[in-house]
Amino acid sequence: MSEPTDLSSTAAGPPPPPPPPPVEEVVSLPPVANLEFKAVLLLVFMAALVIGSALYVMYARGLFEATQKLVLVSEDSEGVVVGMDLTFSGFPIGRVRRIELADDGKARIVIDVPTRDAHWLRTSSVFTLVRGLVGSTNIRAYSGILKDPPLPDGAVREVLRGDTGAEVPKLIATAKELLENLNSLTAAEGAVGASLGNFQKLTERLNGPGGALSVLLGNEAEAKKLIATLDRTNALLTKLDGLAAKTDTQVFGTRGVMPEARATVVQLNALLGEARTSLKKVDAVLVEAQAVGANARAATDDLSTLRGEVESSLRKVDSLINEVNRKWPFARDTEIKLP
Amino acid sequence: MFTDKFQVPQSRGHGYHGFMTSRAHRPGIVAQLNRRAREWLLGWARLVYLGALILVLALSPSSYGRSSRGVLAQHIYHNTAPNLLGFTLLCALITLVITRIVIVTAISYGLSQYALQVVIRVLVLELIPLTAAMFVALRCAIASGVELSQMRRTGALDALKARGVDPVRHEVLPRVTAGIFSTITLAALSCVVALVMAYLAVYGFTFSGVAIYTRLFGQVFSPAVTLIFLLKTLFFSLAVSLIPMASALYDPVALQVRTSAEVRMLVRMFAVILLIEVLSLVGNYY
Repeated sequence: MSEPTDLSSTAAGPPPPPPPPPVEEVVSLPPVANLEFKAVLLLVFMAALVIGSALYVMYARGLFEATQKLVLVSEDSEGVVVGMDLTFSGFPIGRVRRIELADDGKARIVIDVPTRDAHWLRTSSVFTLVRGLVGSTNIRAYSGILKDPPLPDGAVREVLRGDTGAEVPKLIATAKELLENLNSLTAAEGAVGASLGNFQKLTERLNGPGGALSVLLGNEAEAKKLIATLDRTNALLTKLDGLAAKTDTQVFGTRGVMPEARATVVQLNALLGEARTSLKKVDAVLVEAQAVGANARAATDDLSTLRGEVESSLRKVDSLINEVNRKWPFARDTEIKLP
Repeated sequence: MFTDKFQVPQSRGHGYHGFMTSRAHRPGIVAQLNRRAREWLLGWARLVYLGALILVLALSPSSYGRSSRGVLAQHIYHNTAPNLLGFTLLCALITLVITRIVIVTAISYGLSQYALQVVIRVLVLELIPLTAAMFVALRCAIASGVELSQMRRTGALDALKARGVDPVRHEVLPRVTAGIFSTITLAALSCVVALVMAYLAVYGFTFSGVAIYTRLFGQVFSPAVTLIFLLKTLFFSLAVSLIPMASALYDPVALQVRTSAEVRMLVRMFAVILLIEVLSLVGNYY
């Protein structure tokens, strides 16, 4: 036990802090060499651990990498959580930073893409948001043409949605409809049943006395009529056959029409030859007539000149006679001279 | 000085205050319940008060004067150094085993992509801080509490007070600080070791999986989760360090109680740790 200090000395003023009582008197801790140094080392170690962990967390969250922004617009962003990866060929190249609602009611997914990975995204890249029946949603990027210009910072793209879960109700509804239709078809009084019954009747009739013909025509009477018709047609054909044979001899036989016709043709040929020669003669006659006509024409022309000359001679004669008449006193004076 | 406020007077016999025993020869059920409830509430109030006190003292630079640095260094060293190696090895082994179990099970269900996330969430976020806190509690803090209650019983604290030295500042503060430091160091170190062991268990001694592992780690440790993890570790360390001290300083040393002071203190500590864990889980997953 330590000595209690004199209480009277504390009345003078604030006492200087007394040295701490040695701890060994109550609790015995083993002495440690370079205690303070080791304690400081421990402190430094803890600080290093904490700061190192903090830096690692920041690095893991991507605080130290330069990123560019990509905005994906989707009708429905269900299943997308902040911190999700955007994968390209299975490798994560981006992280969802924020999901917000645009003014037109569509969901905007803001993704941070580190600039060192941004070259995988091109202007022609396609983005899909796929949600399977089990498991989480996946955002994937596909770049078909890697020679296209790279995706710019802040680009906005429409994302294609595939939701297997949403297809299931549709599928079930369609399947139900199909099953109902099938049920109604294959029911006892349904279409298929009726068709099968008819088919059965058909085969019975096929196997029956009428056979396929009775099936085609409906009943046996008709079938018999058809058969009778067939027989008659057969008879007709045989008759026609005989007729054809007779015609054959008549037309093409040795005394048939054809040889005589041939003979007639030969005669006609000869006739035609004669006609040709007479026509040639007529032709010659016509040529002569033509010459006669030409002469007549020439003569007609001459005739008119001749007529003109005759007229002029007659006129001359007339004038001559008149002269003579004037000059010849014997001319009868027909004029009555008046005083 | 400060500790006088909540001192419960030493009981005489099995009444609690003199005037009550004269009124009734046997305390009624309601009175007993009332007394117990008051004691319970008082206990928690004292704990919170001590916590506030210690925080103020710890954050004031005058507590780290030359004279107190030695004591502080001693307590820090004795609380932390002997546990480091043993606990680290224990953590490494447990992590390896649990990781292997989880990975093999996940692969058999075809869910191997989620296995690492499960390991990180369960081990690093939840189990490791809890285990570190319990380890420090069992090995150091309870021992410190026992020391302190011994000191109180033998009157060393009163002697200090008589000399004008604040016993809280002189005896309690270094132990609490050392406990907090020890918990945080152990938790941080074992988390790092657990992360490394989980990586090795899955990928082996290559660097090929570091990028993916780091990414996964970043996805698990979102800002909210990181904050909750830090606060949880801090509150664990506070709980583990303060509760034994509060019990040593304030719990009555009377013998009529059914359970000893240490057991009650342990129960209280476990209750607080459980409460902190539940709150952190609610904060993370609800």
